[in-house]
Amino acid sequence: MPTSTVFTLIKQLLTKKATNPFPVKYTPGNMHAAASLIESGKLSINPPVDIPPNFRGKLSYDVESCIGCKLCLKVCPSEALAFKPDEKKVKHYVSRCTFCGQCVNICPKDCFVLTDEFLMAGLDNYSDELVLNP
Amino acid sequence: MNAQDWLIRILFILVIPFVGIFFGLLYKGFDRKITAMMQSRIGPPLRQPFRDIRKLFMKENIVPDHAVEWIFHASPIFALLAPLVALVYLPIGPFEPLMEGFGDLILILYLLAIPAVAMAIGGLASGSPYATVGAQRELVLMMSYEFPLAIAAVTIAWKFESFSLAAISSTSVWSLVGPLGALGLLLITLGLFAVLPGELSKAPFDQAEAETELAGGLFVEYSGRNLGVFYLSEAVKMVVVGALLIALLFPQNISQWYSFGGPHVAGFALFNLAADVLFFLLKLLIIIFLGVSVVRVALARFQIDKASYFYWVPMTLLGLLGTVLVVLEGAI
Amino acid sequence: MSDKDTTYQVPIGPIHPALKEPFMINFRLDGETIVDADPHPGMNHRGIEFMGMHRNPLKVIPLAERICGICSIVHQHMFTTAVEHAAGIEPTNRARYIRTIMAELERIHSHVLWAGVAAHEIGFDTHLHFTWKIREKVMDLLEFITGNRVNYAMWTVGGVRRDITKDMYPKIEDTLTYYESLYTKLEDIFLGDPSIRLRTKDIGILTKEEALRLCGVGPTVRASGVKKDVRIDQPYAAYGDLELDYIIPSKFGYENTGDVFSKTLVRLKEVVQSIDLIRQCVDQMPDEDIDSEPKKAVLLNKLKKADGEGIGRLEAPRGEAFHYVRLKEGREELDNWKVRASTYNNLATYAPMFMGEQIADIPIIAACIDPCIGCMDRAVVVDVSTGQKTDYDHEDLHKLSVEKTKRMLGGSL
Repeated sequence: MPTSTVFTLIKQLLTKKATNPFPVKYTPGNMHAAASLIESGKLSINPPVDIPPNFRGKLSYDVESCIGCKLCLKVCPSEALAFKPDEKKVKHYVSRCTFCGQCVNICPKDCFVLTDEFLMAGLDNYSDELVLNP
Repeated sequence: MNAQDWLIRILFILVIPFVGIFFGLLYKGFDRKITAMMQSRIGPPLRQPFRDIRKLFMKENIVPDHAVEWIFHASPIFALLAPLVALVYLPIGPFEPLMEGFGDLILILYLLAIPAVAMAIGGLASGSPYATVGAQRELVLMMSYEFPLAIAAVTIAWKFESFSLAAISSTSVWSLVGPLGALGLLLITLGLFAVLPGELSKAPFDQAEAETELAGGLFVEYSGRNLGVFYLSEAVKMVVVGALLIALLFPQNISQWYSFGGPHVAGFALFNLAADVLFFLLKLLIIIFLGVSVVRVALARFQIDKASYFYWVPMTLLGLLGTVLVVLEGAI
Repeated sequence: MSDKDTTYQVPIGPIHPALKEPFMINFRLDGETIVDADPHPGMNHRGIEFMGMHRNPLKVIPLAERICGICSIVHQHMFTTAVEHAAGIEPTNRARYIRTIMAELERIHSHVLWAGVAAHEIGFDTHLHFTWKIREKVMDLLEFITGNRVNYAMWTVGGVRRDITKDMYPKIEDTLTYYESLYTKLEDIFLGDPSIRLRTKDIGILTKEEALRLCGVGPTVRASGVKKDVRIDQPYAAYGDLELDYIIPSKFGYENTGDVFSKTLVRLKEVVQSIDLIRQCVDQMPDEDIDSEPKKAVLLNKLKKADGEGIGRLEAPRGEAFHYVRLKEGREELDNWKVRASTYNNLATYAPMFMGEQIADIPIIAACIDPCIGCMDRAVVVDVSTGQKTDYDHEDLHKLSVEKTKRMLGGSL
C-alpha cells in the first residue's frame, strides 16, 4: 500500500476543501424570497471568487463619442456588432460576443471598455440588458 | 418456543430488510462523503443515495432488443434477495441472529456469492459486448476472492468447532488464542479486509464495472428500476459483509466493558441496548472506512489478471499461513 | 477448436468514457487481449478552416484559438506566426518573450491536466482531483495575465495584446515556486506509486524504430528516445536565446522504453523545464513595445495588400503542430488556411501500442498520446442519400487525382 498517498489522504480529510462552493448550499425554492432574506441579513451566502484585475467581461459602449467609423465591425470575430446606418452608430449583441476585446483595441475614440460584469445569463437573447444601444 | 416468540420473530424478519436497506444506503452516503473529503472535495450530502434511489425508481426501465427479457428482469431481484436473506442469519449488535442452525456461516458465504452470479447472468443476458466482458470479469474475480474468504471463515469456525454464527459471535475469537494464534488471526484479518473491496466491487477491484474501460460493464444496459434494485443490493451487501466481519472477528459489545449503575437502575437494559447498537454501527463505519473508502481512494484499478493473481497467490498464502499458525498453536 | 476464430469485436467510441472526445476505435479482441485496432476519425469535424477562409486574419485569431480548448495558445501562436511570415511582419522582441512565457505556462497547464486524465483512465480518481486542484494555480495566473481562463485572446499579428509588466513578476514567481514545491510530490505519485507503476510500466510500448517510421511527434516519441523538439530543431519566438535540451528518459537515468511510464516521465520533466524556461524569459525580457503595429486599421490594410504564403510551426504540449496560410493581394480574407495538429501524426502510433495489450489498457494507451480530436479531425465523406460513409486511403486519393488530371487534359493522357 502506498503509504505517503494514504497519509496525504488523511490530511486532506481534515484540511480545507478545494471546491468552490455555490453561493448557497441548496437552490432556494423561491429566489425572490431568498434575495430579500440576503438583503435583510438573515441568510449569508458564500463569498464569490475574486475577479482578476484585467478581467474581460461585458462590453460597455459609449454611444456619444462613437463616430461610426465601422472599424470595430472589421475585427469582430463573431459578428456581434451591427451597424445602424441612420444613426451612424453600432449595436452590440452581448449574447454573440466572445469577449476578445479586439474592438477595444481598434476603436479610435475608445468607445468600448471591457467591464468586469459577468452575470449575463438570460432567457431572451434580445432583452434590453443583452443588446447595447438597441 | 411458543407461538408468541414465533410471532415476534416473523415481525422482525419482515422489518429487517428495511433496516438493512436504510443502513446500507446511509453507509453508502458515508462512504461517498468520506471519499470526497479525502480527495479534497466537499462531496454529496449523506442523503444523496436515498435521492438516487428515488430518482432511479421514477425512471423508465429500458430493455434492450437483444436481451433475454425474463433473465434480464430476474437477476436484479435475486441480487437483492440474497443479501437480505443473509441479514436474517447475522447477529446484529446485541441481537442474536433471527434464524440459526448448524451451518449458518456456509449458508452466508453462498448467499454472498449469489449477487455476483446474478449480476454476471444479468450482464450476459443484456446482450452488450461491454456487459459480456464485465460478466466474465465478475466471475473471474468471484472465483479469485472466494478462496481467501473461505480459508478465513473455516479457520475461525475450526477454532470454535462450529459453523453456527451465534456460537462464533458469542465470544471473541481473540480471547481463545495465544500470541502465536493472535499473529495468525491478524494475517487472516488482513486477508478478510483485502477481500472486502473485491466482494463489494469497489476500486481497485471494480473491473466488472470499470467506468473508463467498459462504460459501466455489467450495468451498461440497465436503467431505471432494475438499476435501482442493483444499487440497493450493493448497499445491503455492504452491511452484510461488514456485519459478517464483525461477527467473525470483533463481536464484542460495549456494555460488557463498563459498569454504569447496575441492573437495579431503571432503564438500564434499554440504555445498554442502545449503547450496543450504536457501538455496532460505529464498528461497521470503521470497517467500511478502512476496508472500502481508504482503499478505494488510495489505489488504481488493477488489470483483471493482476487482481486475480493478487487473491490467488499473496492473499491465499497469507490466509494459509494464518491458518497454520492458529492450528499450530492449538497443537502445542 | 484451434482453427475456430474466437475473436470478437468491441467498438470503443464514438462516445465512450475512455475517450474525452468523439472518436472511434474498433477493437478485435481475443478474450481480454487486443489482436487488432482500427481507428476511425471523422466524428468531430467542424469546418473551421473553411470558416477561416471567409474572414480577415484578425478575425481568425479568436477563431483559431477555439480549435482546441487546451492548446488555445498554440493555435493562435501558430496562426499569427504564419500570417506574419506571409505578410513579412516582424513581431517585437518583447512580444517574442511574452509569447514564450505564455506558451510555457500553457505547457505546464496541459501536462498537469494530462497527468490527471491518465490517473482517471487507470481508475485512480484521487490523483485526478489532486492534479486538477494544483492546476488551478496556473489557470489563475493565466487568467490574471490575460483576463480569461481558457480563451486568452492575447495574440495579434505583429505582437501581443497584453503586456507582462514588472508588477506581475511576483505572481509568476509565486506560481513557479508553487509548482516546484509540489513537483516532488507529483513525481512520487506518478513514478513512485506501486499501483500506478503496475498499470504504466511496459504498457503501450512504442519502439524507437516504430516511432521514427510512423513519424510521431512530441512527448510520445521523445519517450522512445527520439530527439525531436521544434523548440530546439528550429527555434521560434524567443527559444533561440534560451537554454534548453531534449527531454528523453535516458537523460534522467531511465530507459528509453517508450511505454506509458516513460511518456509520463517525459511530460513531468517538461513541467520542470517549462518552469526553468519561464524564469529565463523573465530575466532576459527586453524593454520594448509589445506590438510592432499598434494601429490595427493600418495593419488590416497591410494584410490586405500582402501576398504570399507562410507557415507557423511550433512545439505544442502534444508535439509539433503546423499552420499554413496563403494571403492574396487585394483579398481581405485568407486565401487558404491549413491546420495540422500533433494528434494527426500521433494517431498512427496507436496501432503498434495497442497490439497485444488488454482491454484494461485501452483507456490509458488511448490517453497516452494526449489525443486532441478537436484539433485533428479530418473531413469525412458521407453520401447524403444513403448515409454511407467512405474513407479514402492513399490509393483511392491517388486514383481520384489521376482521373482529375485526365479530365482536365481532355483525356489525352
